[in-house]
Amino acid sequence: MIEVEALAARAGAFELRDVSFSLPHGAWGIVLGSAGSGKTTLLETIAGVRAAASGCVRLRGADVTQVVPERRGVGIVYQHALLFPHLTVEQNVCYGTHDPQHAVGLARRLGAGPLLARGVRELSGGERQIVALARALAPGPDILLLDEPLAAVDPRGRTRLRRELRALQRELSLTVLHVTHDLGEAGTLGDLAILLEGGRMLQAAAPEQLFRRPVSAAAAEFLGAENVYAGSASPLESGAGDEPGTMLFRAGSLRLVGLAAARVPIAHAVIRGEDVVLARERAGTSSARNVLEGVVSEIVKHGALARVTLEVGELPLVATVTAGSVSELGLLPGSRAVATIKATAVHLC
Amino acid sequence: MGSRGAHRVAAAGVVAGALLLLVLLALPIAALVLRGGMTGLEQLGSDRELRHALLLTAQTAIVATLVTVMLGTPLAYLLARDRVPAGTLVGALLDLPLLIPHPVAGMALLLAFGRASPAGAALAQLGLAIVGSRTGIVLAMLFVAAPLYVSAAREAIARVDVRYESVARTLGDSPIRAAWRVTRPLAGRGLLAAAVVMWARAVSEFGAIVILTYNPKVASVLSYDRFTGEGLDAALPVAAVLVILALVPLLVLRSLRAGTALGEPAR
Amino acid sequence: MRPLRIAPLVALLACARPDAAAAAGADTVVVFTAASLAVPVRAALDSFARRTGAVVQQENGASLELARRITELGRVPDVIALADQELFPQVLVPRAASWYVRFARNRMVVAFTGRSAGAARLTASNWYEVLARSGVRVGRSDPRLAPVGYRALLLYRLAEGYYRLPGLASRLEASTPPALIRPNASELVALLQAGELDYIVDYESLARANHLRFVTLPPAIDLSDPARVSDYARATVRIARRTDTTTYAGAPIVYGASVPRAAPHPAAGQHFLSYLLSPAGQAVLRAHAVDALRVPELVGDSVPPALRAMRR
Repeated sequence: MIEVEALAARAGAFELRDVSFSLPHGAWGIVLGSAGSGKTTLLETIAGVRAAASGCVRLRGADVTQVVPERRGVGIVYQHALLFPHLTVEQNVCYGTHDPQHAVGLARRLGAGPLLARGVRELSGGERQIVALARALAPGPDILLLDEPLAAVDPRGRTRLRRELRALQRELSLTVLHVTHDLGEAGTLGDLAILLEGGRMLQAAAPEQLFRRPVSAAAAEFLGAENVYAGSASPLESGAGDEPGTMLFRAGSLRLVGLAAARVPIAHAVIRGEDVVLARERAGTSSARNVLEGVVSEIVKHGALARVTLEVGELPLVATVTAGSVSELGLLPGSRAVATIKATAVHLC
Repeated sequence: MGSRGAHRVAAAGVVAGALLLLVLLALPIAALVLRGGMTGLEQLGSDRELRHALLLTAQTAIVATLVTVMLGTPLAYLLARDRVPAGTLVGALLDLPLLIPHPVAGMALLLAFGRASPAGAALAQLGLAIVGSRTGIVLAMLFVAAPLYVSAAREAIARVDVRYESVARTLGDSPIRAAWRVTRPLAGRGLLAAAVVMWARAVSEFGAIVILTYNPKVASVLSYDRFTGEGLDAALPVAAVLVILALVPLLVLRSLRAGTALGEPAR
Repeated sequence: MRPLRIAPLVALLACARPDAAAAAGADTVVVFTAASLAVPVRAALDSFARRTGAVVQQENGASLELARRITELGRVPDVIALADQELFPQVLVPRAASWYVRFARNRMVVAFTGRSAGAARLTASNWYEVLARSGVRVGRSDPRLAPVGYRALLLYRLAEGYYRLPGLASRLEASTPPALIRPNASELVALLQAGELDYIVDYESLARANHLRFVTLPPAIDLSDPARVSDYARATVRIARRTDTTTYAGAPIVYGASVPRAAPHPAAGQHFLSYLLSPAGQAVLRAHAVDALRVPELVGDSVPPALRAMRR
């Protein structure tokens, strides 16, 4: 398992500050963030090749902050593989282990068998990542750090590699920390998602939680929430049976009932597009607390899905629905439509 | 004249400039070899003093280069990886010997390591003296040429991505082992080139050496000796032979760069 | 770095001419001086420049190297002044110069510093004992290259006769192994000052120029007295070089100077040399501890009229 507490590190002028999370043994952690947010610095500090400025790193329950990298039992795979150019593939793979047979076996298992005798420069991006993976795993670490391993791989190779990684992780009970800027990878692979921005950790939670309940507007926007409104909230006065935490959010003429996750001053409301239900007319009564009427201003189709933008008052509301629904409802730019959103889907932060 | 024409003119200018510099450098050497080369080579058979001087030059220059490579490479590594406190200052200090006029450098070495100095007294205990000895020759060569090696080696090492070492560390290597197994082979060509530059500089040194050691004579001192004692015609063959003989190791080493470098598998 | 801004500055610097005065049309005099003469001749040149407004350029170096510059490299000064006239007949005359003038006396001395072994007890009468002692490091010039080198050997031979100690000359020679032989006086001085040598055997002019302590030797052996020519000539030494062997006999040491044949400004050169040899010039030289001859001696032919008046 990987635990960091108030971890800080420096990389040139860049500073990583106050990062804390706990990744259980055998779990898959995802580190999300835009370029320059400190993801690589975090990995290097956990691996020990970069010294922590303050805070602590615990691996398998033991404090390893002062331990040298060669004794931490951590494998690392960089984005561009960084295979040793002066060695063959086989020499690369066997570099860190005294058991070349095991290393070669592992490489073959990952599909690098035919590459073994080759020089490093002849390999494609995907081939390099496989070799780098074999090299990192050959000494038998139980913790693996991956820095955007799929970024330099072509789409077809990416699917295969993702599958192999998952299988290996389960088989070898690896604790994996995986850096990516691709939200899709976070969704499919992660047990824990850690969001970094500007060297700070914004949030660490299960991916579901991260997407549904982002801790701030910045987090929400990075995570691709389609609707983020700036405004203010106040506790709901009326209605028996309203849970504490339910609040009324105002942004311009928009009124939303939503849930606040934390006791911070509310400044934003976040609604994911897929949580917006569209209809041509108001239904009768429903459990949804938010029913908004508006005019369709834009419809963008992405394969089977469609993004429908509704002008509600002066603000846009984006709904993600199936393309089929769009045609069934007969929605066109200029049509009137009704959007329904459950209060539980309106996240206030 | 369109932009293509302008390009041609610019290209011609670049070529002309390059040719000019090459001619500037090659002409004196050609004159030297043409005027003294044959005589010098002929003399090799009969001129014991010349043979001894060439051998002494080769030996001392090689020793100076080896010592510098052994001591200077770790220093260059630390400088390249920014592990030296006040690294910029240290780097600048290391370049200072290059600025000192050579005879002055010789005198500085006398002050620091001569018999009257504490270091010199310690050397004397070991039976070593820098005046009139091979030790003095090696020391003078080292002083004027080592900065060249350290600078160039530092560049060569800095060009090797430090993350290779990081990966090697996570694979179980100690810092020294990682630098040896990964950085050294990858910087190999650059280090070799740096050593060649240093060796060549050591072979050509005169001013600092002659202050410390006149006898036994290295080739540069011998050519000066012949010039003052007998005239230009006696000095040129010495210098010409030195140039011709030095060409061999220089060519061998430079061709190694184009081929396999140390540690890299052949392709 | 703004290379564009720096470039004009560099260009300006490169074009700057430190010798701008030369363009003004004043007389130029280029003088080569042996290292040990540098300071006295500089003083004379400055005084000359003040009187005449001439532009003076001085180059110092080892005597033999200066001579080679003229004969081998074709770089000719207007005046060449050496601390030992021997190089004139040996190297410069008749190819590069047709005459020369002897203008001051010099002598062999033993120079040392406060650190030299045995210096506290050193006198003019026991110097040879101190130098011949084992472990004492004595430096001298290479006799194959410099007159002062074989003059030192002649000194040793004269001393052997004077003190009536057979074998003294070889013992004194042995106190200088090859490692302590140098081509030039400048290295000897550096080594002496650094404590690598205890004593050097060289000209008095050199010892004075470098502010070294020295012991004055008996005139019978130190090659200083023009009246003792025949006495000095009794000592001889054979020097074997790569291409020939020469035998030198003892002779008084005098400073020599000349205006070479191919001097670029011969008139200006003669002008300065006349000044140097005049009472005014002699006074300047004596003020710098150069033992100037009251009447300089001219050797050779086709001496310019300006200097002929000095002929004895």
